[in-house]
Amino acid sequence: MMLIAGTIPSKDIPLTIGSVAADGDFLTVNRQRLPRIQGTGAMISAALKITEYFELAPPQALIVGDIGNGRGSREMYRYLINNLVKLSPQYLVLHYCMPYIDLMQELCQAIDKCSPRPVTIADAGAMYGAKAAGLSADFDIMTPDFSEIAFLADSLATHPAYISHHLFNCDLADIPKLIKAAHENRSDARLLLVKGKTDYIAAGGEILEIINEPDVPVLETIGGTGDTITGLLAALVYAGVKPLEAAVIAAKANRMAGKIAQPTPATQVSHIIDAFPSVFKEYLCRWSDICTG
Amino acid sequence: MASAKRGTASKGDGIIVFEDVPQALQAEKIIKKAGYAVRLIAPPPAFRMGCDLALEINLVEKPAIERIFKKEGASCAEIMPITKGTAELCEIVKISDLGNWTMVKAANMKMTFDKSSGVIVNISGGGCPDIPYLNIELVGKPLTQATRPKELGFTLCTVMLDRAFEECLELWQGGNER
Repeated sequence: MMLIAGTIPSKDIPLTIGSVAADGDFLTVNRQRLPRIQGTGAMISAALKITEYFELAPPQALIVGDIGNGRGSREMYRYLINNLVKLSPQYLVLHYCMPYIDLMQELCQAIDKCSPRPVTIADAGAMYGAKAAGLSADFDIMTPDFSEIAFLADSLATHPAYISHHLFNCDLADIPKLIKAAHENRSDARLLLVKGKTDYIAAGGEILEIINEPDVPVLETIGGTGDTITGLLAALVYAGVKPLEAAVIAAKANRMAGKIAQPTPATQVSHIIDAFPSVFKEYLCRWSDICTG
Repeated sequence: MASAKRGTASKGDGIIVFEDVPQALQAEKIIKKAGYAVRLIAPPPAFRMGCDLALEINLVEKPAIERIFKKEGASCAEIMPITKGTAELCEIVKISDLGNWTMVKAANMKMTFDKSSGVIVNISGGGCPDIPYLNIELVGKPLTQATRPKELGFTLCTVMLDRAFEECLELWQGGNER
């Protein structure tokens, strides 16, 4: 079972766990509706497109409303800390939430108690929390963007808002150095997919793959297009694809969906998400040996 | 891509630490309004929970600031001499010209607006829970009519988005407003 945990931008959604389903321009989790926008909604939507394509059981999601005051995030952490061993997911994806150092430490202890240990993927606030707690190395996969790899490379920063100016001012060509620095700080996961104009996939501080085609620069402006890569990657791993190959396919599929959708900077991420099925149909067999039908 | 760094207040020798980011933002507003120098910084490691903000002040002004807090009903965890381990917020912004649109990036946050209408068309980056909420609240609104992110949000991602918003507004009002 793959469990995706993250907050939803609502004051009203209570802590909810259940299977994800599509509902027009929304998703539902145990009758709670959530929008397919930047954040956990976009990430889950992309993951669902993969499970639908491969006719797998849909992702299980743990969602809770949080508009930034942290109340929902605390509930989410607490629920996971108290129930993770019982839930026993094979794949655990942590996404938007407040990066609370103390709760992340407790959550990582709960993950350690799971047998077998789940494959762990962190992005967004969960990735910030893991780094700030000094626990990045406990995770199997992280998916930072350019400013976030600079954050992981900055041994002193506890949030991307505090990245050193010299790291923020780095050129895109310096990303391999940032990846190496993040590894030397023990601030990286076992596998990193660094999302950006060029996508870098790295392990142990070394670049394993570089993906830069098709080049769709406008994707950087569209909120949620980094979240969709994480969702694709997580669901591909859940579908049985090895993490490195899953990262390559996720990066390529996101770019290709961007190309097909012909976005402008005013395009919303749901438009990109809707292009995924045609990308899978057209390209998955060409890019790998994972085919359906 | 152009870069800019906002002028900052002179360095102080005191620090005010808070329980959360909204408390710090409210205190910054009150102190600035009263005419005292203040700067947003990271608290020292012992006060960090994961999403934290502190204020740098001149310690000699501590009694006056405490008086202002009392009068305005503001609160803080502690006012003390500045210690090793504080950090500055990333003050640099990067501006990208995308034809009909401009994207402004501040640390991990990006805001894009339409040059002809001044409407915010997208917000990207970030990882704290208020960012998707701000996406709902701000996308589609003209910069001049939108509520500032720091009036709506709660986190350091919001502080950075507010920095991008400030720059977008300045660009729009300075050169492009029609």
